[in-house]
Amino acid sequence: MEVDENRESDSMTRRDAAWMIARALATPAGLALASGWPGAAQNAGGGAMRHSNAPPERDRWKDYRPKFFTIAQFGALRMFTQVLIPTDETPGAREAHVPEFIDFVLNAAAEYAPEMQPQWQKAADYLDSVGFAGMNAANQEALVAEMAAPETDPNKTHAGFPFYRLMKEMTVRAYYTSRAGLVENLGYQGYAYLTEFPGCNHPEHHKV
Amino acid sequence: METFDAVIVGSGACGGWAAMELARSGFRVALVEAGSSVNPAHDFHHRWPYELPFHGQGQPGLLRKRYRGSTEFNYRLMIDDIENPYTTPDGMPFRWSRSRVLGGRTLHWGRVSDRMSDLEFHAASRDGYGDDWPVSYRDVAPYYSRVERFIGVSARAENLPQFPDGDFLPAMPLNCAETIFSAACGKLGFPVTQRRVAQLTRMLNNRPPCHYCGNCINGCDVGAMFSTVSSTLPEALRTGRVTLMCDTVVSAILMNAENRARGVRFIGRYNKQEGEIGARTVILAASSLENTRLMLNSQRGGLANSSGVLGHYLMDQVSGAGVSGFLPALKGAAIRNDDGKSSGLYIPNFINLGKQKETFIRGYAMSASGGAAQFPRFAVNHAGYGSSYKREIKRLYPAFARVWMSGGEMLARRENFVEIDPEVKDAWGIPVLRIHATHSDNDKRLYAHFHERAREVFHAAGGEELDAKAAMAPPGSLIHEVGTCRMGADPKTSVLNSYCQTHDVANLFVFGGGCFVSTGDKHPTLTMMALAARGCDFLTDKARKGEL
Repeated sequence: MEVDENRESDSMTRRDAAWMIARALATPAGLALASGWPGAAQNAGGGAMRHSNAPPERDRWKDYRPKFFTIAQFGALRMFTQVLIPTDETPGAREAHVPEFIDFVLNAAAEYAPEMQPQWQKAADYLDSVGFAGMNAANQEALVAEMAAPETDPNKTHAGFPFYRLMKEMTVRAYYTSRAGLVENLGYQGYAYLTEFPGCNHPEHHKV
Repeated sequence: METFDAVIVGSGACGGWAAMELARSGFRVALVEAGSSVNPAHDFHHRWPYELPFHGQGQPGLLRKRYRGSTEFNYRLMIDDIENPYTTPDGMPFRWSRSRVLGGRTLHWGRVSDRMSDLEFHAASRDGYGDDWPVSYRDVAPYYSRVERFIGVSARAENLPQFPDGDFLPAMPLNCAETIFSAACGKLGFPVTQRRVAQLTRMLNNRPPCHYCGNCINGCDVGAMFSTVSSTLPEALRTGRVTLMCDTVVSAILMNAENRARGVRFIGRYNKQEGEIGARTVILAASSLENTRLMLNSQRGGLANSSGVLGHYLMDQVSGAGVSGFLPALKGAAIRNDDGKSSGLYIPNFINLGKQKETFIRGYAMSASGGAAQFPRFAVNHAGYGSSYKREIKRLYPAFARVWMSGGEMLARRENFVEIDPEVKDAWGIPVLRIHATHSDNDKRLYAHFHERAREVFHAAGGEELDAKAAMAPPGSLIHEVGTCRMGADPKTSVLNSYCQTHDVANLFVFGGGCFVSTGDKHPTLTMMALAARGCDFLTDKARKGEL
């Protein structure tokens, strides 16, 4: 299993930051430093993406070569996941490195969950059998719409539906746990260092 | 070989507490932990999912096969299920979540710190089922206070007889979803308060206040939540009288010819070499079921088991998925730090408080929370794809909310029990537990009743339900397993007296949830710690008088 113990963020590791805060709060001299941190007032309210503590994503996908899929299968997977989570006003599957992550996971499945691999092999074979990679964008969109139709209409069936669900589930998990999905798209505000918790300040929420 | 005044097996909530109290009283203590050492300043820090190789989900199959109930964030704090198996009969699942690491489950616990009331200690007298505890609230109350003042509990005083108040730190503000649920409970006439959590809202005992990162269950990096390693262990070690032994797997309690415990036998976790630790008093604090396993493995028929009840009356608390969905008032709201305090709303039990009115006995507590939690788990099953899907997930992200079972009483029944499996052994050759547990009809009726009330709360908040299945979780799921070493006044029907001392062996004490006579509807840890503190007072007093 890949464990990178030597990861560094730009200036200071998070471990160091946590330790300094503990020390700062434990001493009277640290109180001045503590009061300089973002408090609830600065973090509550406001709709736009504000300051985030989220560190940059380390560059683990640079020069990534697929290990589970063939180059051709990987190409089709890139196109398919990009239809599922497109790049629009926020990053998509491409910026989140969803296809690379999926390949990495499936390769690692050999040890404890080998049953995953034939499922994904079938999904790759299916995309190959319909010539997905060779289609133009409009035809790809149309095929995904047909594959996905049983999700909203129980009367419909499609041979590709199980593969759509398989690929969507892992795409969604990969995307919303990536920096692109969690921080840049959703704007998750957790993992903060705050002096007080920003509770609800909406009078309308006190009535139902 | 050095003989200690006391050997304590296990370094969780009760083991850490006992080490601190006894060392402060002058005891020379050996604190023995089967797992590895851990240092929060070095080992715990906020980890973002994308910083982990598998984005928090773990290598496929690994967590299911080896570290059940954990995540990629915290699996190193959990036990290895392959090294440490247990067995259950076919069709009788029991989920046993364990940690073998310095601090045990205090490193990642839910932190909820409730006092039980006399409605629970004396429930049998009220409804005729089972047995009363051999203690009353007034016996335990001073120890609840002592523990609360040390660990720090953020809470609101509510003056409810079924939910006694304590020595509290300031409460935390509610997030938006909790505020809405609170208003819904007000409309329904249900009592409601903040979940009482061992998280500091101001500095206490040299520990800094919470910084609201929401990372509690992966190990608190600054010690703002109570754990052995942040709180009791530093105090214990400061006395200079505690010898800490990690990676030391205790396999049996050693006895002498005068029916007294003389220490413990252990096996080195890595070198597998056997050894002994001599002590004048033996204290088991290795968790409810590990304590019982040790006693069952120490003597044919079970050590200190003249009553024959050792291993019996296993309980968890009743739990299940509850109700989840979206609060329309929060759809499209600005993203806020909703999960930073990870405490939530608590709806204390209001069932069967006066006259028995329901078709089941005892009660349950509910919890509710919502908002932008880290991963939008509803997204996986949300129909659609493409840009419209992305926008809809973002709109729903702050509105996801749920009401769940915080703890429902699971009746104490003799037929729920643990025994030593005749064949299976762990990685150190120590026989493992075979666990037999089922829910009673009363447990099932109680859960069904909860599910109806949870839906009422959810609907009163305007919520749109996503999943309405009333799925009850198998026993063990709430990780509130208690019983199997029950306390009582009568040595014929109980293993321990009210001070957690075994009736049969004067210098053998058993701390933790094993002593519970009933589960009640509260989270169990604070009561375990208060009873351990009471046991320590008793032990030191008897030792001073030479009466142990």
